[in-house]
Order: sequence, then structure tokens, then C-alpha cells
Amino acid sequence: MMQHAPRTDSAPQASATSRLSARGLRLAYDRRVVVDSLSIDIPDGGFTVIVGPNACGKSTLLKAFARTLTPAAGSVLLDGRPLESYRSKAVARTLALLPQSPIAPEAITVRDLVGRGRYPHQGLLRQWSPADERAVDDALAATGNTSLAERHVAELSGGQRQRVWMAMVLAQQTELLLLDEPTTFLDIAHQYDVLELCARMHAEGRTLVAVLHDLNQAARYATNLVVMKDGAIVDQGEPGRILSPELLEHVFGLSCVIIPDPVTGTPLVVPRRP
Amino acid sequence: MSGGILRVGRRVSIRVHRAPLIVAAGLVVVILVVAWLTLTLGELGIAPADLLPSILGAGTHRDSLIFSAFRGPRLVVGIAVGAAYGISGALFQTVTRNPLGSPDVIGLTSGAAAGAAAFGLLVPGILPTPVGALLGALAAMALVWVGTGRGFTSPARMLLVGIGVSAMALAFVQFVIARSSLQQATVLASWLNGSLAARSWSDAAIIVVSVIVLAPVALLLSPRLQLMEMGDEQADALGARSGSTRLAAILVAIGLATAAVSVAGPIAFVALTAPQIARRIVRRPGPQVMLSGLMGAFLLALADLLVQQEPFDVQLPVGIVTAAIGGVYLGYLLVADWRRGTV
Repeated sequence: MMQHAPRTDSAPQASATSRLSARGLRLAYDRRVVVDSLSIDIPDGGFTVIVGPNACGKSTLLKAFARTLTPAAGSVLLDGRPLESYRSKAVARTLALLPQSPIAPEAITVRDLVGRGRYPHQGLLRQWSPADERAVDDALAATGNTSLAERHVAELSGGQRQRVWMAMVLAQQTELLLLDEPTTFLDIAHQYDVLELCARMHAEGRTLVAVLHDLNQAARYATNLVVMKDGAIVDQGEPGRILSPELLEHVFGLSCVIIPDPVTGTPLVVPRRP
Repeated sequence: MSGGILRVGRRVSIRVHRAPLIVAAGLVVVILVVAWLTLTLGELGIAPADLLPSILGAGTHRDSLIFSAFRGPRLVVGIAVGAAYGISGALFQTVTRNPLGSPDVIGLTSGAAAGAAAFGLLVPGILPTPVGALLGALAAMALVWVGTGRGFTSPARMLLVGIGVSAMALAFVQFVIARSSLQQATVLASWLNGSLAARSWSDAAIIVVSVIVLAPVALLLSPRLQLMEMGDEQADALGARSGSTRLAAILVAIGLATAAVSVAGPIAFVALTAPQIARRIVRRPGPQVMLSGLMGAFLLALADLLVQQEPFDVQLPVGIVTAAIGGVYLGYLLVADWRRGTV
């Protein structure tokens, strides 16, 4: 039987295959609590997608993972140690974040922007090593940006720009990648373009955590789906196993049928007419 | 990539960008030219051949006096104050991600003016004093800190509260001017435009030491400030700690602007225009700390040269000339940007 009560009370089993996890997490903006006593393990090598209604706390959770938001209580653990106990550059060498709307500096070229992803690997006297150069070249090639390298970011289209940001995050050379709604503001072709890129990074062995809005895209690409509501995790697991009309009715208040995706066989959510 | 890497062994690799270096070298040259003109032109000018001996204290009595009592300290103060304002503006603009972020807009210079005016009111006679300006600037920054409710963490609130504090401070200055005698009011009004006239070596020491101490800190913060251009979240995710970086940069900027305003008064627009002009010339991202400092030094030294040598003897305050030169040149660059369609 599927259980729809929020899983918030007991700490999940600490698994040996999870570098990134959270225990008893409370996240708040000023005094407004968005997430409370949340615990989760992110499976290593998986493509975890977090879905849920607006304001359910999914982006907030991602911010806590990336250490851009400090927990009010509880902690995010990296290799079993609280994130705060690491030096910030050490964290940035392990996990990278692509925020929802990053700002491209004025007059910056694609290559320079991607190069900024190398900051955690650099120091006062080690400003640009051959390894940095290689990482940038590889990131540009992996995202199909090599021919755009000397162009100004401001001249690019929205879809091209998102690929450049993906390249910057790749240049950081981290094992974990956090992506906050990477497909927002893109047309449907570019959305799948970005998702395929994510799937390739996952296939190469990285651990991905993404917040997505589109349930069908989430179900198609995720190996581990996390469904959130009101700051708590309602269910988590393989999309084909956990997605059900009852769950969606409970979480989104949406009446729907679920059929197999004709292309991939993954769950396809089709809403009923009200 | 436009530039090269300086390598020493396997561990050291310093990145050098060509465009900023060329612009910096050009600025140093034009600053030296302005300095040379400042010392040699006019009735009080030192003949070019006697310049070096006079600077070294081996010139004639007249020349040594002119250098050490009049034009020397004035020139040094001008260059250092310009650099301080330029760097301060670059830091403020970067941490607020707003081209209008500058010590003028944030309320610091108006606070200094109010402090100087208050001192004149309380202790008439020795009006206006650098000490009053110093205390006023610090008081204004304390008000901004309290007024935002979040210290210096929110750039948008800082600008808004700064504009409010600035308006209050200027209202107070107007009040003092209205209450003062005509003579006091005239002295205060001329200080309020900023001036480099009659500066001493002790003024020069204050500002030069401030720049020597604080400019390297600003340079060290540059790599992290550069990441903050992409938003706090992205900077944090890259390990650049936006909170502490912003606080450090603002403290350095306040230190530089406070030293500058104490020594030379609120000289308009240098902090606002110098970083913008520097950026538009190199056409590169980043705070461009060094270029903003050099550009500020050049703008102010040039403006003061014009003030000293203008033929009509109208005793223009240097602040009016910096506003004119900086404003016109920035306007030209903006129009050029619009034509290219990059703004």
C-alpha cells in the first residue's frame, strides 16, 4: 500500500551509497519556515528529480544542499559530515549548483564565463593552471559550445545561454550537480536539449539532483523521483513505481490517468477534464 | 585568450590579461604628464630643468618652497584622493550590482558634509574640519547599517536607505548654511564642492597611507567580487562566500571614501564615473579595481590642473570640473555603447 503521510519523523537508514543527505532539516526565510524536520538521502550515481506544487519548498531544499541557504535546524551532510564544517571551496569542488536565474556579467565571453567555474580549484598564486584550461575546453566540447567560445554571452539566445551555464557548472568538475529548474524559460526543443545533456552527464557517472516542473519530463529522466508537498517529502523512488493517480490527486489536487509513454514506456500523466 | 599566464614551477600560475595592462600603462603615462604640467605650468611653475632638484630638495629656495608647500602636496593629494574614490566606487558598484552604487548615492559623502557642517555649528571658527567630515561619514554609514534592518547584506535596501540618509544629511547642511553667517556659509559652500587648494603633506600622508593599505585588500577581494557579478547564489555555490565578501568590500570602500572625503571634501562624480569609464575602455567584466583607481587619479589630477591654470581666475572648485569632464566623457561612452547596441 502506498503511504501518503509525510515521511518526516524517523531518520532514514544512513546508506553507504549516499554522499549527500539531510537530517532533521528546517529551512526558513527570516521567520517563515518553508521546510521542517526533513530527512533524505540522495542516491549516488542517480538522477534525482524533485517535483511538487509551487512553494512546496523544492528549490529551497536545493539551496540548502548547495549551501547557499543555512539551515535553521538540522543539517545537510556531505560524506557524513555537516556541510558547514567544510571550507567553502572544498564543498564547491564536490558539488556544483546551477541557480534558477544566474546573471551573466556585462561584456563577458563564453570562455571567460565557463572559466569562472574553475574558481574553487584556484588560489592566489595558482590562478590558471593547465588543468583549468583543459577543464574549460572539455566543458565547452561536452556542451557543444566550442564554436561559441569567443562570442559574448549577451549575444546568445536563451537556449544557447543555458548550455553555456551548464558548461560553467561542468567546468567545476564536481561529482554532484544541483540544477534548479534548468528548463524554465526555454522552448520545448531546448528543454529536451538541456535534459538530454543532463542525462549524458548522469550516464558519465555523475550524481544529479534537479528541480523540474514538468511531471512527464521528470518521469522520463529521473532514476529517483522525490515528490514534495508543504515542505515535506510525500514519496520517493523510481517514477514507474511511485507515480499513481492517487499520489497526484493528493499532492497536486489533480485528477488524472497515467499511461505508459509511447516512446520510453515511462509514466505519462494525462489530466482528466474537470 | 587575450593575455598570458605567468608560470613559476608547477604550483604558481599568475593570470595576466593584456587589455587591462595596456590601459593601466597608458593611464600611468597620462597621470605623469598631468603631474609634470601641474608642477611646471603658470607663474608659480618650476622650470622643467629645475624640477628634479626641487623635488629632491636641492633646488633654489623659491622652487623648493613651491614644491613642498604648494604644488607638491596638492598634486599628491589629488592623485591619491582620485584613486581612493575610484576604487571605492568600483567596490560599491560591484557589491550592489548597480552602476549607480557609489559613496555619493549611498549617503557617505553627504554624511561627511553634514558632519563638517555640524562641527562648524558647534565649534565656530575652525569650520569645516576633516574630523567633522570623518565622524559624519561614519555616522551616516551607521545609520544605513541600522536602517536596512539587515546590515549591509541587501544591496537594494542599502541604496534606498542610503538615498534617504543622504537627503536627511543634505537637509541638515542647508539648515546650517541658513543659520550661519555669510562668511561661514561661503567657506562651507566651497568645502561642499570639494577642493584640493591649500593641502599639506599631513593631508597627503593620511590619504596616501589609506590607499596603500586598502587598495591591496581590494585587489585581493577581486576574484571573489568577480563571481558576485553572477548573483549571490552562484558565488556561494562556487565557494566565494558572498556575505563576508560583500561586508569586506563595503568596509574597504567606506574606509577609502571616508579618508578621501576627510582630506578633500565630497568631490562629485569621481567614484561614479571612474569605474564606468575604466570598464568601458577595457570592455571586460570584473570590478577592475586597479583601472578604476588609476582612472580616478587621472580624472581628479586633470581637473585640478584645469582649475589651477584656468585663465579667468574664477576660483572654480575642482568638484565642478570633475563633474563636467567625467560626466561628458561617460555620456560619450554611453552613446557609443547605444550605437553598438551593447547597452
